[in-house]
Amino acid sequence: MTRLAWLLAASTVLAHPAVAQNLVNGSLVGDRDAPNTLTLRLTSDGPGNNYPATAEGYNELYSDFIRNHPEWKIEMQLMSDNIGQEQARMLEQARAGRAPDCAAVDSFVLPQFISNGVLASFSPYFSDEEIDQLFPFIRDGITGEDGEIYAWWWNTDLRVLYRNETIVPEAPETWEELKEAAIASTEDGMEGLLFNGGRWEGTTFDWLANYWAQGGDLVDEEGKPIFGEGENREKFLTAVNYFKDLVDSGAAPRRVANIASYDDFVAAAAAGTSALFIGGNWQYSQLEDTLPAETFEQWTFSPIPGPTLEERSTGTGGWTFGSFSDDPEKVEMCANLVREVYMGPANALQQQLPTRADLYDQYEVFDTPANQTFAEALDDGRARPGAAIYPEISNQIQIMMGDVLTGSKTPEDALDDAYQAALDAYERL
Amino acid sequence: MTVQAHKVARLPWHERVGYRFAGQPLPWLLPVILILGFFYLYPVFDVFRFAATDVTLIGQDYEYTSRTIQQTITNNDLPFILWITLIFTAGSVIGQQLLGLIIAMVVIRAERRRLFGPTILRTTALVAWVVPGIAVGLIWQMLFSEAPFGGLNSLLRMFGISPVYWLSDPQMAMWSVIISNIWRGTAFSMVVMYAALKAIDPVLYEAAEVDGASGTQKFRFVTLPQLRAAILVNMILITIQTVNTFDAIIALTGGGPGRATEVISLYAFNIVFRNYDLAAGSVISVIMLMISLILSVIYALFLPKGDTT
Repeated sequence: MTRLAWLLAASTVLAHPAVAQNLVNGSLVGDRDAPNTLTLRLTSDGPGNNYPATAEGYNELYSDFIRNHPEWKIEMQLMSDNIGQEQARMLEQARAGRAPDCAAVDSFVLPQFISNGVLASFSPYFSDEEIDQLFPFIRDGITGEDGEIYAWWWNTDLRVLYRNETIVPEAPETWEELKEAAIASTEDGMEGLLFNGGRWEGTTFDWLANYWAQGGDLVDEEGKPIFGEGENREKFLTAVNYFKDLVDSGAAPRRVANIASYDDFVAAAAAGTSALFIGGNWQYSQLEDTLPAETFEQWTFSPIPGPTLEERSTGTGGWTFGSFSDDPEKVEMCANLVREVYMGPANALQQQLPTRADLYDQYEVFDTPANQTFAEALDDGRARPGAAIYPEISNQIQIMMGDVLTGSKTPEDALDDAYQAALDAYERL
Repeated sequence: MTVQAHKVARLPWHERVGYRFAGQPLPWLLPVILILGFFYLYPVFDVFRFAATDVTLIGQDYEYTSRTIQQTITNNDLPFILWITLIFTAGSVIGQQLLGLIIAMVVIRAERRRLFGPTILRTTALVAWVVPGIAVGLIWQMLFSEAPFGGLNSLLRMFGISPVYWLSDPQMAMWSVIISNIWRGTAFSMVVMYAALKAIDPVLYEAAEVDGASGTQKFRFVTLPQLRAAILVNMILITIQTVNTFDAIIALTGGGPGRATEVISLYAFNIVFRNYDLAAGSVISVIMLMISLILSVIYALFLPKGDTT
């Protein structure tokens, strides 16, 4: 080989990482002069992630993607953490024809986007084989009444009970066992059980597992609130009283009434002040990243306890991508992005549970005992109702939880107020 | 044709236009009126229009109806929300006004005595003012955290004082929100009071001293009357700002626990973005506008009619 050839080969090898890095430049992915533009609105599940290693991983995935589509560039718009507002604003923009070409849509508001007819069909861009591999509740969630799929649900999650095994050796399996374990942990100087109880969606979603475990429903088939009537009312009160008793008995600290972030649990685990919390499956890797190795070894998780051994449930959520564009090329590009970046690679990068059974075997990261357990726990999973009234029901449950946990109202009064408010809101929708 | 008219006729066309409209305010104000009208008045008009409909964020059609106004005004939650807003606004305005005046007086006194530090004090107070509301909420969330490692409670424990339920006690949560808002807004009041204090004629104080007035008497009979206009203007501005405060509260408490800190701006936000009820949210927005206008008129009635400074 001549000296020139060596020089060229060496420069190619050296230049490659630089090119890969340069393809994601701030909010732009790809060549600024590329003829086609895809506007993309996304959460922190992208190059803007707060964790440097995750952000770097997404940089590489996006760089590889745009290298495969050199005639395109992506203009990224980052959503704030206020997901409810972001999604409502995007729905309004979509109705006015001002939405981005491609966007992350939270799975629990997806039915509203589909029913408003603002999303383009993804059916032409995904094979039947790919669609058939989706878990049934995922497939149902993205399918419209006409049988077309209008989004791609790429990750799902669930809630579990985390515990420090050195303080709580046995996994509590029922409400009573959890209460006893939490009180016992306070005798070791811990705060007791931590859970979301403040004014945000996590409070409703995490608590709903206790209501769903008894077979309760929030809305009927038409989407009308029914949680304050008949058997549902009894189940609802039982689940509310359970949380109230946790605080009143000292099994949970009073401050849960203001916890409105999963990060608070990781902080408490890192500070060594709590041995029990109800959190999301994604927090397992956060604990691993945050805690010293020997401390992380002490932490494990188990399904959320139910009122009895047989009654179990857990909330499942996740994110989808959909396209608001009228241009078939942009819709296809959006579908390509989901397939090539998110459907598998991003799941593995963030250890977020895939929505396709076959992906659990394709990526080593999902072979770990932890992720296998999470996948099995999805059997008890239940998604929030896709009714338009759900965000207001959730708002009312958050208000009710605050009032009950602080003793401002009795569970019965708080439930009656929440139910009446939800019905009034339903009448206006 | 007069001499003046001859001179004007010889001017370039654009200067002739200027002469033609000299003394007529409308042509000069027209660009501002158009810009304000388009960017401010039109959205306000739209809010009034939506308030008279049943429009939602998710429905396709809407109709004009008075039902939204009736249902929103008679909603059982509204009186409590207004009460919460009143406590929050009164606490914040009184606190900001008092602290702003005290800090401004300390700065002025320090400057007169050529002491070290008034610039640092002024700058420190201003830093709080320029911090975005969301960041203010997050900063105070860390300070008020009731976790064993929470900022203020850790400090209290060091002095053997029992921890305080800053955010999980409904009554205390309101005070915590007010404290954070006072911290954020005091700098603005300080700047207004500082400028007004600087403008007071020193001769008035000299005359008071000649008359044997004590420090308290000088403050009561010279400083306060001279500051009257500035205090009222400041109160109008910070009242309107406080009624519309939203970002710091949503970051600090989200309106909770329960509805303990859900002020009217947050209530409007929840109606629109949780329940997608754009029409009811518009009614609340109109109520907020009315509150601000009424308060402004009341304050303005107490403003000195002549120039007192």
